This record gives sequence, structure tokens and C-alpha cells, in this order.
Amino acid sequence: MGGLNDIIKKQQEALNKPEEDKIEEVEQLVGFIVGEEEFAVPILSIQEIIKPIEWTRVPFVPDYVLGVFNLRGNVLPLIDLRKKFHAPSAEIDENTRFIVMKIKGEDVAFVIDKLTSAIRIPKKNILPPPETYSNEDDIIAGVGRLDDGRIITILKVDNLIKREEIVPERD
Amino acid sequence: MDDLQELLEDFLVEAFEMIEEMDQDLVELENNPDDLELLNKIFRVAHTIKGSGSFLNFDKLTHLTHHMEAVLDKARKGELKITPEIMDVILESVDAMKAILEYIRDHGDDSSPDVDIEPIVKKLDAIVNGNQQSQTQKEEKKEAPKTVGGINLDEINPDNLDELDLSSLSPEELDQVLEKLVEDMNTSPEEEGIEEVEIVEENKEDTGEKKEENKEDKKEENKEIEKKESETLPSKKTSTEVTKEEQKKDLQKKIISTKEQTIRVDVKRLDQLMNLIGELVLAKNRLIKIYNDVEERYEGEKFLEELNQVVSSISIVTTDLQIAVMKTRMLPIGKVFNKFPRLVRDLSRELGKKVRLIIEGEDTELDKSIIEEIGDPLVHMIRNAIDHGIEPPEERRKLGKPEEGTIWLRAYNEGNMIVIEIKDDGRGMDPEKLKKKAIEKGIITPQEAENMSDKEAFMLIFKPGFSTADKVTSVSGRGVGMDVVKTNIEKLNGIIEVDSVPGKGTTFKLKIPLTLAIIQALLVASQEDLFAVPLSNVIETVRIVEEDIYTIEGRSVLKLRDEVLPLVNMADIFNIEKVLMPEKYLYVVILGLGATKIGLIVDRFIGQEEIVIKSLGEFLKGLPGIAGATIRGDGRVTLIVDVASLMKLAKETHNKKLVTDSLKEVKKKKEKPSDYTVMIVDDSPMDRKIMRQALEELGVNIIEAKDGLEALNLLKQNDIDAMLIDIEMPRMDGYTLAQEIRKYNKYRKLPLIAVTSRATKADRVRGVEVGMNEYITKPYTKEYLQNVIRRNLKL
Repeated sequence: MGGLNDIIKKQQEALNKPEEDKIEEVEQLVGFIVGEEEFAVPILSIQEIIKPIEWTRVPFVPDYVLGVFNLRGNVLPLIDLRKKFHAPSAEIDENTRFIVMKIKGEDVAFVIDKLTSAIRIPKKNILPPPETYSNEDDIIAGVGRLDDGRIITILKVDNLIKREEIVPERD
Repeated sequence: MDDLQELLEDFLVEAFEMIEEMDQDLVELENNPDDLELLNKIFRVAHTIKGSGSFLNFDKLTHLTHHMEAVLDKARKGELKITPEIMDVILESVDAMKAILEYIRDHGDDSSPDVDIEPIVKKLDAIVNGNQQSQTQKEEKKEAPKTVGGINLDEINPDNLDELDLSSLSPEELDQVLEKLVEDMNTSPEEEGIEEVEIVEENKEDTGEKKEENKEDKKEENKEIEKKESETLPSKKTSTEVTKEEQKKDLQKKIISTKEQTIRVDVKRLDQLMNLIGELVLAKNRLIKIYNDVEERYEGEKFLEELNQVVSSISIVTTDLQIAVMKTRMLPIGKVFNKFPRLVRDLSRELGKKVRLIIEGEDTELDKSIIEEIGDPLVHMIRNAIDHGIEPPEERRKLGKPEEGTIWLRAYNEGNMIVIEIKDDGRGMDPEKLKKKAIEKGIITPQEAENMSDKEAFMLIFKPGFSTADKVTSVSGRGVGMDVVKTNIEKLNGIIEVDSVPGKGTTFKLKIPLTLAIIQALLVASQEDLFAVPLSNVIETVRIVEEDIYTIEGRSVLKLRDEVLPLVNMADIFNIEKVLMPEKYLYVVILGLGATKIGLIVDRFIGQEEIVIKSLGEFLKGLPGIAGATIRGDGRVTLIVDVASLMKLAKETHNKKLVTDSLKEVKKKKEKPSDYTVMIVDDSPMDRKIMRQALEELGVNIIEAKDGLEALNLLKQNDIDAMLIDIEMPRMDGYTLAQEIRKYNKYRKLPLIAVTSRATKADRVRGVEVGMNEYITKPYTKEYLQNVIRRNLKL
């Protein structure tokens, strides 16, 4: 009986191990372009990706908050990542997308120029942001080097927008 | 444990309700001290609370109620006359009961260290002690209370049987109670028993005929009494048993019927339901919009009729559903009004004034959340009316008024609003006196006072730090009251109106929206942006010309009939970029909130619509001037204005910017001809050249297009100030182009000038129809064309 148990144990270990390794070592990301740079966010933080639709301007907000729009009956804020990253602004074209992400339990949409690809990157290839990067507001989680030599900036989704920066404190 | 908790909650809800009612009844009783029916009702309430209280082991509460009950019992038996002094003590004990109940609600026990009932109990005892006999009787009972399910067995006797709250007893407990009853009757040749029977008889003689509803009970009592008097014990026993059976049946009936009538529902569930209905209303609006589009496209098709039927029926059902759910959240305003008879009584006694309160419309219903907010402001206003409004009796007599002052508290519906009116026939307010006071206190300047109408002067009482009472009393005049009223009413998006005639009295009108979740709104456009303004705050809309705007002390105001209103451009409040040229007429929304009114310049009125308020989410909520957003029929998001916050912003803008300057802003940007751009649309290069030459002499910039489609694209990409349009062109002709351009709000005022050789009257009419401003027939002189352009660009 002991022998059988051992075999079962080994089997289970064999089953579990590779998967654990995967979860441990590989990050799944979605890459996109804003301005001249390629960025990425964890795939699990993305709710959905939609084509641009009409939005409504909102007063008294920083310029990177474009306004709000209706996504199936919910009113979502729309953030322009170009403006947020101080890149020159561009017209909306057929590649432009809204990425809807959950930030602190709330759905927020971000305008990006173009989607690139889904990315699987080993964790060891992700380095902390270099000192030279301007990482104000702790937006960057790290920098990833892909097999084809591309360099992507991985964003900390939770820090992308902050309420206190958007709505001025009321007196 | 849970059962007990549930029981406790039920007890509290019931007790609070009963006490509220009792408060009112007591005040009424003071006016009609001989109303036995009322006395009995009050006695029953006290008895029920005592019973349930003792069942839940609230000794302090039971102790207090017991003594109070003793007083009421004596009054009920005609041994005690209720004087105002005695009433003070009774009311005091009711307050103590309330305080204890509140403590129970918050802490779960009745230790309530803040409430000292001993002095009240002593006072109650003193009243009862007027008759020694009955006091000792009560005393004895108190020593050994034997209780079954909240009912003190020693207290039970045939005459208070119908006051017992038997509904809370289990069948076993009920049996015990009834056994005790039978036992009582068997041992009847006791002095005490006979005494009680005699009292019941008296009671019956007094009121028996008047009371229709209690007839049956009385009959039973009658029977019992007869039996007792005939002193035949065995037969009496059987009769009691019969009564017992009937009583049981009655009771069961009662329990069943109350169970069927109401259920308690968590407010959260209703809120959830309301949210779902909100979604449904949005979907309905959307459906209607789609139907209208489809109708245009497929005019005359058969399926339209069917679609129309479905859309209308969904729309009707949705509206009914919405009203039905809204109604489940509604409570009669009587819930708030009920506490005022007591308040008025206490205050008038305290201030030595005679005041009568007349309440009307207490059945008018309001949303629960609003009911909760409305109480405090009303208390303040009624206090004020008694303290400041109603004169002391001597003064009133001298003035030839009846000694007793009257306060009317009235509620009624007016459209989507409920109006609460508080009116007194007191001394009224003198606008000049108010102005003087306001100047003294530095609230307004003498110049401002001069320009003020009487109505505006009355509104001064709502300014913080304003108080007209010469002496400060504990009742009012602390200079906070009316300010609080204003804040509270504003929170509810309500409006306050004041009217007063010196010597005759004052009327306050509070207008409050019925509900807060789904509202009627006026949709307006400021430049290109749409906003929804809650209709409850829109007093009126007016069309004015620039000449109607006056500047007083560096601020823009609008004179509207006898009022002078601050005037602000909505685009300035929200920093909206100005792209539209101002027209001859300006559109103004007169907004009212609390005691304030302003005029808000918008660029267009879109119309009235029912909207559902949605939050802007964690990141955007709380933006100044914005209450939320709504999704309209076309799926677009429209921002909803937060009137209270907008008023604040408007005040700031009003101090900073003149409307007349703001209106010039668009014009200002363009001064020289080179600031302007004119587009020439013509398929003939020759014709374009002729026009170009004429325009170059003017010094304006020129953009050329070969046909309508190209022109439309160029228009969107460039800032164009006027267009010269040929009619006959390939791809898109001039009429269609004009039609397309006029579809955009932004280009509504863009000068479109037709330049064509088609000169018939029909052509001209067509041109006007599609939105052309001018019609130039080829050939024309250079000067003529230049003049037309100059005129249209206002060069």
C-alpha cells in the first residue's frame, strides 16, 4: 500500500510542479502603444477592449481626463494616456482603442494608440525601472525585455489615476 | 436569541409609533378633557407598552409606565380631572418613556443612566394620591407582579380585558390568562371586585351609547355585570367561558388580518428595486428614440404600427412600475406633522402665548429619505412662528385680533413637488426693518438694500448670522435656526418662498421634489455641451436681449419684473470654450434653490426629459457643480447639474466676470479681416477665381472646395467664418451641403451664402428652406459680393 501512495504522491507532484513554475515565473501581459513607446499591463487587470465611442466632456478635471462615456448602461471615466504621459496628442484613427481596466474596484477606460500583442514574459526578464526613468507617481512596475529585443514598460494599473489628482478637494 | 432580537425590534417599532400617536392624543385630550374615548385609547397604549415592556424585562420602563397608567386610570374612571399641570407631568413621563426607548434601541437594555424616572414617578404618585384608596390598591399589586407573556396577571380583571395585548401570547399563555380571569370571577364577593364592576358600569353609562365600534365588547361586559349582580355563581362561570371562546376567535381573526395587510421590507431592497427600475427607464427612453429613428426611415411600413404598440405599452408599464415602486418608498407627511401639536403646546405654555395649530394634508406622501430630512427645518420654522410671529395675548387683544394666535401647517402636491406651507397670523415682518438690521450686521451694503424688493428682503432672514429677535430666548433667536432651514432644504433640492404682511402674518412655502432617484430635468446646451438641470429648481425660462442686462457695482444682473437677479453665463461657470457666436436673443434659466435665485445664460433649451441619476464613480464623483450623469435615449452621457454647488460656483463667477464681457469673448478673438476665413465652394475654377479675387481685396483668408463633400470635410478641419456656395455641383449639391451643415449645432449660425445663376423664386425659397442666409445671383459686381461678406462677418 505504501508503494501505491508513493506513486500517487509522485504523480501529483509531477502534475503540480510545472504549473506552479509557470505561475511563478511567467507574466502574462497585453502590450500596446502610446506615443512612441510600447507599454504593457497584466492581462488579468483588463476587463475588455473596445473601439472608440463618443464621450462627454466633464468640467474641472485635468486635461488627461477626457470625460465620461456609456458602456452598456454604466458611466465610465475616460483617460487619455498620451496626455497622461505628456506625449504629443494625436487624432483617433482605426487603430485607437479604449482599454477598460478595474482600478480599486472601479472600471476606468484608457485611450491607447494601438494594441500590439499578448505577451508571455518570464519574470526573470523583468527588471525594476531604471533610475533614469521618470517614474513619477510610481506608475511603472518594471521594464521587460522580450525575446525579439523589444523593450516594454510594464505599468502599475492601480497607480494610473488617483482621485485626489482629479477632483480638487472641496472647501 | 434571534427570535428575541426580532421581538425586540418589533416592540420598538410599535412602541415608537404608539408613543408618537399618544403625544398627539394627549394634546388633544387637554383640549377635550372629557373625551373618554380618547382617554381610554391613551390608557390602552400605556398599558400595552407596560405589558410588552415587562415581558422583555424592561423594569425601568415598566415601572414608569405603571405609574403613568395609574394616573390615566384614575382620569378614565372620572376620579381625576386632567388639568394642564397634570398634563405637564404626563407629557414629561411620555418624554422619559421616549428617552428610555431610544436607549433600548441603541443599547439593548433599559438601564438608560441619563433618564432619572424617580422624580417623575413621585409626581405621578402625588397626583394619584389625591385618592388614597386607589393608591394602596396599586401599591399592593406592584409588590407581587405575576406575569405571563408580558401581562401582569394580577392586573387582569374583566373590565380591562380588551386592553390587553393578547396577540403576543402563545396559546398556553392565553389559557393561563383566561384561567386567572375565571378565578377572579369565582372569588368575586370581595370588595375590590365589586368596586371595579361598579366603575365599569358607570363607564358604560357615560359612553356606552356613543361608542359604535366597541358595542360588542360592551355587550359582553354587560352580560358579565348582570350575572355578577344576580350573584349566581355557576351560571356566571359558563358565561365567562363563552366569552373566553369568543375572545380567542376574535383574537385569531385579528392576528390573521394584520398579518395579511402589511409586511416590513428592508429599505435596501426597495433601493435595489428602484435602481433596477432606473435601468428600465433608461432602456425605455432608448427604445423610444430608436423607434423615432426607425419611423423616419421606414415611413408607412406595416411593422411600424406593431412596433409602435409594443413601444407604447412598454413605456406605459415602465412608468406605472416606476410610480408603484416610488410609492412603496413613500410615507405620509403626517409622520412628521404628528409631533407638532405637542411642540406647539409646550412652546406656547412656555412663552405664555395662546396658539392654535391647524394641520391640513397630513396624508400627502413623500419619499422616506425626504421625510427624514424635513423634520428639523419644520421644527425651526414652527418655533420661529410661535416665538417671533405670534404676539402675546395682551398685545393681540390691543390690536383687535383674537387672543389665540393660529398657525397653519399645510401640505399639498403641486406637479412633481410637494409644497409645505407654514402660515401664522402674527405680527409679520417689516422689510425695511429687516434691511436695516442686515446693514447693521454687515450682511448687505446700503446700496444693495436700496435695490432690494420686499421679497428679497424677507430672504435676508436665511442669511447666516441674521436674527431679528431683540431678545434671545431658549426657543429661537440664536441666529442659527433659519440658516439651518435653508441648508436642509437645499440638500433636498427644495425651494423656499416667503411672503409677509406686517401686522397680518407670515407665510413660508417649502417646495420639495417628491423623490430623488428619478427626476424631471430641463436639458440645456451651453455651447456644444449638454447639461440636465433638475426641473424642481427651474423657476422659469426666459428669452432676453443684451439690452436687458444691467451692471450694478461691477456685476451683471437681470431685471425680471420686480426682481433683480444675478446673471451668469453657464459657459463661464464650467470654463467651456466658446465656439458659438452670440445671437440676438439670449436664453436664461431662472434657477431657484432654498432662498436664492439666479439667472443662468445658456445657448439653447433642448427640452424636458425624465432622467435617472447615475453616479460618476469613485474617481469623478464630487466634481464641483455636477451631481452625476444620466444616459439619454441616444446612449450618450449627459451631466446632471448639482444646483446647490452650481449656485456657489455661480456666485464666484458672478463676482469675477461680467456677462457682457463673456458674450464678447467669441467676437473679440477676431478683429481684423485676416482673422477670418471664408470658404468658397464651386466646381468651376473660373467662378472660384472671380470670388477669390474679390475676397482677397477684403483681406480675409480663403479656402476652396470643388464640391459639397470636400467642403464638408474641410469645414470640419478648419475654423470657417462664412461660406460661399454654388448650387449645382457634382457629388453633393449646394442645397444638400447647406442641409448637412445645419445639422451641427456648432454651425447653426455659420453664414451660408448661395452664389448661383438659378434665380427663380422657387430656387430662392428652396435656399431659405435648407438654411442659406443669403442668395446672390450671378452675375454680380465685386463690390456687391464684398458687401455681403462684410455684412455677414460683421466687419
